[in-house]
Amino acid sequence: MFESQKHTFWQALLITIVIFSMGIIFGVVLENWRTNKVDNLYKYSEIDLLDVKLQSEIYSMGNFNCGKAVEKNIAFADRVYEEAKQLEEYEKSSILTQDLKISHKKYDILRTILLLNSNKIKEQCNVSYQEVVYFYRYNNVDLNLKEEERVFSRLLEELKNDKGDKVLLIPIAADNNITSVDLILDKYNILQKDLPVILIDGKIKISELKSIDDLKKYFSN
Amino acid sequence: MEFLPYVYLTYMFISIYMLTFFLILYFRNRNKFFDYPKTDKKYSVSFVVPAYNEGKSIEESIKHIFNIGYPYLKEVIVVNDCSTDNTREVVESLLKKYPKLKLINNPKNLGNAARAQNVGLKQATGELVAVVDGDSFPAVGSINKMAGYFDDPKVGAVTCPVLARNQEHFWEKLQAIEYQAISFGRKLLEYVDAIYVTPGPLALYRRSALLGIGGFDENNITQDIEATWHLTAEGWNRKMCLATHVTSNVPSKLKPWFIQRRRWNIGGLQCISKYKKDIGRKGMLGLFIIPFFVINLFLGLFGLGIFFYLSFTRVLSKYLYTRYSITAGTPLVTLNDFYITPSFLNYLGVILFFVGLIYILMILSIMNEKILRKENILNIPFYLILYLIIYPFIMINAIWHYALKKQVWR
Repeated sequence: MFESQKHTFWQALLITIVIFSMGIIFGVVLENWRTNKVDNLYKYSEIDLLDVKLQSEIYSMGNFNCGKAVEKNIAFADRVYEEAKQLEEYEKSSILTQDLKISHKKYDILRTILLLNSNKIKEQCNVSYQEVVYFYRYNNVDLNLKEEERVFSRLLEELKNDKGDKVLLIPIAADNNITSVDLILDKYNILQKDLPVILIDGKIKISELKSIDDLKKYFSN
Repeated sequence: MEFLPYVYLTYMFISIYMLTFFLILYFRNRNKFFDYPKTDKKYSVSFVVPAYNEGKSIEESIKHIFNIGYPYLKEVIVVNDCSTDNTREVVESLLKKYPKLKLINNPKNLGNAARAQNVGLKQATGELVAVVDGDSFPAVGSINKMAGYFDDPKVGAVTCPVLARNQEHFWEKLQAIEYQAISFGRKLLEYVDAIYVTPGPLALYRRSALLGIGGFDENNITQDIEATWHLTAEGWNRKMCLATHVTSNVPSKLKPWFIQRRRWNIGGLQCISKYKKDIGRKGMLGLFIIPFFVINLFLGLFGLGIFFYLSFTRVLSKYLYTRYSITAGTPLVTLNDFYITPSFLNYLGVILFFVGLIYILMILSIMNEKILRKENILNIPFYLILYLIIYPFIMINAIWHYALKKQVWR
């Protein structure tokens, strides 16, 4: 009887491979669906950014409507910030595919353009908001730094919730091998070992964790 | 930890494989699942009942043996291993009522069941020897249904489902489910000649086969596992008769249960150590049974290691996060923390859990149909989760005891 049953070993193996492969395919499909979702969001954000940039260019030719430019810039920054949070959630649960890492890079570049555009607007207008750039480590394996960065993120989230449109919050991964980001780090004299760093209005650098109340002291309103 | 998802995937692969393996075996053999060979031969059967402090159950156990209804019962040998309770008096009071009952009183305690069983085995004269624990109760007709397997001269041992006699408390109910699952699995393993234990509550041996391997290994604390491995190594087939059963008292509380399982695991380790040279040899012993035990052990320990690693990093993360949060004055918990984006591994894990649940339900429904009582369905998820959590700890405790040579039977 055993002779007729011993095929069960490899038959079970074949079926397992099929079921397992289906599971992996499901995983790839799920992660690709999430990547596509992020990519779609990115496309709209990219269009919005180009629109904001073009508005600045057009206004610089004649009457520059600072109010509208600032309003658009802040609204765009807020949207990108929310999308980045969603991207982060997806990234945490991404196992099989690496596409979201590329999306993250794209968002970092987008936010860098946003930062430059914001600087441009600031040069031409008397802006009412303060610009907060948060440079953090993306490829972080140190548990201590990871938790410190989590608290930094939460601190800035609290600040943004409190200050609303008075703060333009731009988080940027600073260790993702993006040349433009590296140049900005050089410009502000920020080293990799200093990360995470909060840069307020391009002048104040904060690399030590502070209480929310202490942080608020850097803000005029 | 980048490799963790691959570890999870490996565990999932093995789980799916085992599940598929058992399901194929079941569906291929379902029509003859509860069948047993009938015989015209008149095998004489000697019962050997090792007893140490079984005063509360031994009378009932003996009554069950004599009520089995097997016409060629030759003798029932109770080996009282110097009990300190009233076991001796209880058995003596039954000697008149049952003339085929024999009592051997060991002058000193031999320390384990194997030695007591060997004392009885030496006295046994039947062609077949049924070993029954002093707290176990064979069902009516059990030997009649099991004896037919011995018409095949290659069969050395036959076992049957062991069911939990006491099913009142929560822990007993979980064991009742477990015992049914084990019985189901053991029957399936019969089809690939991979039965790895003929449990002590009721096992029927060909006496010549048992004597041929020198009886029970007195240095092994799970002599029933060892005897089965030894018989397998010597080329004897083992069979499982699902058409009958034996009931046995199961531990009611966690601690005695833990000790019992630790003993089983230590016995398993002793067997692995004794037969490791046979890996890849001696038929299914070296090709399936020993690798199965070794892989189980490795997966359990590795899983426990991963569990400890994750627990440690989780606690450390929480500590660091709390420390930094206090410095920053940020909330420790926000609504966002409850928002989880599940990975595909989470989905697969949930699916696998429910498939496991359905598998157990299927087992219960198959077994209940013929021989078993109703079970509380709600206990099944508890059974799956609790056993999964506790078993690796038992394993590590067993290894600790094994390493320290604390291999006590009781």
